[in-house]
Amino acid sequence: MAAFNYFKNMYDVDMKPRLLRTLIKERVPDDKHPFENPAELSTVVSLIKTHGLLSESFSKSTDQKLLDNWKSAVDSWVERVLLLVSNNMPDKCWAGICLLGMTCQECSSDRFLASYTLWFHKLLPHIQSPGDSHFVKVASCASVSDLFTRLGGFPNIKKDGTSHAGKLIQPVLKLLNDDSSEAIWEGAIQMLCTIITYFPSSVHRHYDSAEVAIASKLLSGKCGVDMLKKLAHCLALLPKSRGDEDSWSLMIQKILLLLNAHLNDAFQGLEEEGKCKEAVRLLVPPGKDLPPPLGAQILSGEASDNSTRKSEQSLMSSVSMLMLCCCTMLTSSYPVQVNVPVRSLLVLVERVLMVDGSVPHALSAFMTSMQQELICSELPVLHLHSLELLIAIIKGTRSQLLPYAASIVRLITAYFKRCALPELRIKVYSITRILLISMGVGMAVCLAQEVINNAFVDLNLITNESVGASASTNLEASSEALLQPCHRKRKHGTSIGYPEEQHDHSGLQVAAPILAISPISVKIAALEALEAVLTVGGALKSESWRSDVDLLLIKTATNSLKWGWASEEKSIFQKNEPTGIWVDFQLAALRALLSSLLSSVRVRPPYLSQGLELFRRGKQETGTKLAEFCAHALLALEVLIHPRALPLTDFSPTSCYSSEQVKFSGSMYSGGLNHGGPFTSGIQGIRDNISDLDHDDLYESWLENGKETVDIMYTEEPMFGGEENLNVEGSSGTKVPEEKGMEPDATNVNVRMEGNEDEIMVETDQSHESVAQVQEPVSSRGATVPESIGASLGTESASDHAGNVFTSGQDVLVAKGDGFVNTDAAIAISEKITGDGLDFDGPEILWENSESDDE
Amino acid sequence: MEVVVASSSIDGGIGCWDVHTGAEQLRYKTCVSPPHGLACVGQRFLASSQLRDPSANSGCILYWSWSKPQVEVRSFPSEPIQPVAANREGTYIVGGGVSGDIYLWEVATGRQLRKWNAHYRAVTCLVFSDDDSLLISGSEDGSVKVWSLFMIFDDMRRQRSDHLYEHNFSEHTLRVTDIVVGYGGSNAIIVSASTDRTCKVWSLSKGKLLRNIVFPSIIDAIVLDPGEHVFYAGSRDGKIYVAALSAESTSKSNYGLHIINSLSNHSKAVTCLAYCARGNLLLSGSDDGMVRVWDAKTHNIVRVFKHAKGPVNNILVVRPELNFNFQPNSQASSRRHGSLLPPVLDKYRNPTDEDADTTTVIGLQSTCRKSIDPSYFSSHVINNQIKELQQQGSSAAAEMETERLKLECTRSMQMVQQWKKMYENLHQFCVNELLDSDQAGISNGNST
Repeated sequence: MAAFNYFKNMYDVDMKPRLLRTLIKERVPDDKHPFENPAELSTVVSLIKTHGLLSESFSKSTDQKLLDNWKSAVDSWVERVLLLVSNNMPDKCWAGICLLGMTCQECSSDRFLASYTLWFHKLLPHIQSPGDSHFVKVASCASVSDLFTRLGGFPNIKKDGTSHAGKLIQPVLKLLNDDSSEAIWEGAIQMLCTIITYFPSSVHRHYDSAEVAIASKLLSGKCGVDMLKKLAHCLALLPKSRGDEDSWSLMIQKILLLLNAHLNDAFQGLEEEGKCKEAVRLLVPPGKDLPPPLGAQILSGEASDNSTRKSEQSLMSSVSMLMLCCCTMLTSSYPVQVNVPVRSLLVLVERVLMVDGSVPHALSAFMTSMQQELICSELPVLHLHSLELLIAIIKGTRSQLLPYAASIVRLITAYFKRCALPELRIKVYSITRILLISMGVGMAVCLAQEVINNAFVDLNLITNESVGASASTNLEASSEALLQPCHRKRKHGTSIGYPEEQHDHSGLQVAAPILAISPISVKIAALEALEAVLTVGGALKSESWRSDVDLLLIKTATNSLKWGWASEEKSIFQKNEPTGIWVDFQLAALRALLSSLLSSVRVRPPYLSQGLELFRRGKQETGTKLAEFCAHALLALEVLIHPRALPLTDFSPTSCYSSEQVKFSGSMYSGGLNHGGPFTSGIQGIRDNISDLDHDDLYESWLENGKETVDIMYTEEPMFGGEENLNVEGSSGTKVPEEKGMEPDATNVNVRMEGNEDEIMVETDQSHESVAQVQEPVSSRGATVPESIGASLGTESASDHAGNVFTSGQDVLVAKGDGFVNTDAAIAISEKITGDGLDFDGPEILWENSESDDE
Repeated sequence: MEVVVASSSIDGGIGCWDVHTGAEQLRYKTCVSPPHGLACVGQRFLASSQLRDPSANSGCILYWSWSKPQVEVRSFPSEPIQPVAANREGTYIVGGGVSGDIYLWEVATGRQLRKWNAHYRAVTCLVFSDDDSLLISGSEDGSVKVWSLFMIFDDMRRQRSDHLYEHNFSEHTLRVTDIVVGYGGSNAIIVSASTDRTCKVWSLSKGKLLRNIVFPSIIDAIVLDPGEHVFYAGSRDGKIYVAALSAESTSKSNYGLHIINSLSNHSKAVTCLAYCARGNLLLSGSDDGMVRVWDAKTHNIVRVFKHAKGPVNNILVVRPELNFNFQPNSQASSRRHGSLLPPVLDKYRNPTDEDADTTTVIGLQSTCRKSIDPSYFSSHVINNQIKELQQQGSSAAAEMETERLKLECTRSMQMVQQWKKMYENLHQFCVNELLDSDQAGISNGNST
């Protein structure tokens, strides 16, 4: 009968009870039959989760009968699961416990609220009884923990939950104290964390014994690293169960004291005596009593004999874990304000970072070479953890770090000089990044030079590496080499070179120390740090390093891409580096390049065209992260190409406003000028040509400017003068001697812009001159403009140089865009519509001009 | 909810209105503020310096929480303070003294962290830069200085360099009346107004004058349009001038170079300005005690709030954090009867109190909401354990297996026992049957 009783589709509610029943019948073990394949269980779990078989959720329109059906199916599921839980065969009992935990997570709220007490009492004996197998215990810890997690989501039954959780604390602590397997400890700790998070007050009564239990495990040196991390986390959460300021302070004070004591043992003979005393003095002001040591009770007995023969290794691991614990305390939330001993935390960090394993001469008597070897083997981990702690301090104190920022910067600067291990360098770079981003310009002024010096060391040798070991190490030669791809792209050799070829490479000839070549991951970190420097402080007091950094970044980016997407199968880098990290490197290089282009203020970014070229090429790598980023970069850079300082939306010049509005905007923005001039037809022509830009407000405002060919044209701002000259002249056939060689070629997108830059920077006078020449053609602007664009379009499609549809298509688009800039931006600027308010070099000229006006 | 907050130099309290609905909110009592003397600290509470009679040798800074009209905390710095400002997060308050000193307090503890001599004459305005790392101060002596807070706290660097400031702009000839900082981190512009009838635009990155605009009258207040297209300058002749920044400016203007337009409806001098980005509103306070809300687009007055009879000299647009979950530490709250505000600001910096510098009171409240997705473990544990079971490698898996086998074994043993018993029973039965039948046969035989 049921064989042909189809349901609609896989979303039909009708399917769920049926599927659930089938699962109960066929996949879930029962009383009678032996439980053979535990893997079945994971299929059951995944099916239930995918289809939400226990959720009993429905839309209003669902048939009542269906719902009842589903309800009864879930009822029988729960019945079966509970039956399994009380089965005395351990495997079935285990399966039942696991499924019950999953049910806690998946079932409907009503069902959960109705039956959680029953479920809890079913699970509790398995945690309490000593006889159960480990598997069952671990599973029941996880299930109970899930039960409390779910319970924590209902704020109205907090009290009930707390009383239930209270019953659990002692058994859990007993599990921790028992000498059983690590898996059980892990389960118990997990459960304890859940309870502290959701029902903190239930732990309140057992606070001290919990502290003892966790601390003794943490310091015993018997657990693996993962377990230790969990213990440290739990210890850090523990003060939350009291939730007052004192518990937090006491805990961190105890931890710091213990840390310092451990360090005293470990660093004996490696550092001066004064260090530890200072740390302790900061923690416990003179005249005050020391707090009881962490986990007071256990240690008092054991410590005396234990500490002496404790191996160095376990000493180090507990130091690391205690630091981790501090990190968690500083970064996780706490219900009230707390008093953080920032100074002593910093002293601790500094103390560890200053030890590099060298034995001071005066102390050499206290140290054997074996000891030194031991310490040095563990030091990197220790340093890593202290850097983590530093990050946690920065994160925790946020803007209140200010009074300590200077000492942190000094610490970082000093450490940077000595730190050579890749892992550590990466961490230091990331600290500088966090500092820069969080503390802004003021920090950038101090830290920039340091970051740049280090980044130069880390990045500089990339050239050698990528050219290959056999290549000459001559920097000059290699920097020539990396310009090659761009040269090759240019079909017509033009007279205008890349600006940086004239540039002297002074930046690169800073003494490149012969260091081991930094691994890619360090380079990535260095690039990210440079990005942060440029983002935050690219403008303020950056004259001294700016041009070097720009050059470095364009080189690095060009270099990174040269190999990557031209020939992925060549796998030059797979030998040493996995491709994943290489992609990250490219991404980091491009990100840094973007920020270098965007943060440039004094001059037009010198490598803009090359950067654009790179991003355009990168965008074609369909489906990669690089392509996504390149698309974003192109969008961001578009503002540099079409500068605009648009007022707030309400001022938008093209929309229609009431009369006073037009009057107002008319006086401020040329966009408000009356429409319909003599050149309407010409404008129309342009619009026909470029339909996709029809609704570009900016574009329209330019066109409108075109109508008003007033005398002030070119008088003030010859910013784009050279370009204007070049483009209009070149395409409309007027002869301008120095530009004669130029062909309106697609590849000239770059060339034109650079040519223009050169003129701006060097030959503003010349553009003044050319202005005069331009003024005649300008009168027939309406006609000229479409011609020029048409011309460039035409040549574009004719010279299909790239041999690749995408490329040429893009170039056409860009050429169009450029056409606008060339023809119209000049007008826009000369009329002081001043899209250049946010332009890279616009304000400079503009302001200075006005300044001189005033004088 | 965005509110406009206004105070005056004559006691009329602090008025507070909803910008968009116009509804008046609570009026906070007793406030006599100097210009730039009102600040909102991290949106959590209001702080204002107070005008004191000239003979007083200490200043006064008051706090109001959003929920109570009464002054909750009174601090008395060592000299009269005029301008106050707080950083965006509300962790520091800076105040400018009449002697030219600038004071920096930590809000959470009230500790005076730094005090330094900034100007020759009284400080008139203080603003934080966009990223809170720089402080810009203006003074009666006409100078505008840019300070890096980082530098202020770095004793070593301070001793090495000959001056503390990053930039010192001294082109103003008279008292500086207002300063605003634009958007853009290190690329920002600074606009300052002065009683020399000029406003000057400075570049923060280059440290030099970009534009000088001469106004028909003295400008007391300026505010930037958020697009930095223009800035508005409130003048003593009652007009608000619109001056060009990146906007086009023609030389033909009626008012002077770079001045594009003006808004006028004030009979008396405009003393303070604010901008509300939502709705694009320009707010102005005037000597006649009114706060006017202008539509920046149409230049029409949208709303008028009457604050007091006396001149309004501070307005702020803020978004108060009414039910922020800020709980001070237990000691502080018991000390001050459950008030939610931080403690009093220190009068003096305590140079001997070295230990105080070692700790910092921070709120570790999570700024983002607790993750809605709780993490569940059991399915993870199930999968791990199944893997273990399948590999049969771990002792725990083996243990469960043995236990299972043991139980199976006992059960089988029981079965065996049962079978045995049954067998025995059967055997017994058969034997009995046989014996019975034999006996019967015998007895039959006997009988037959």
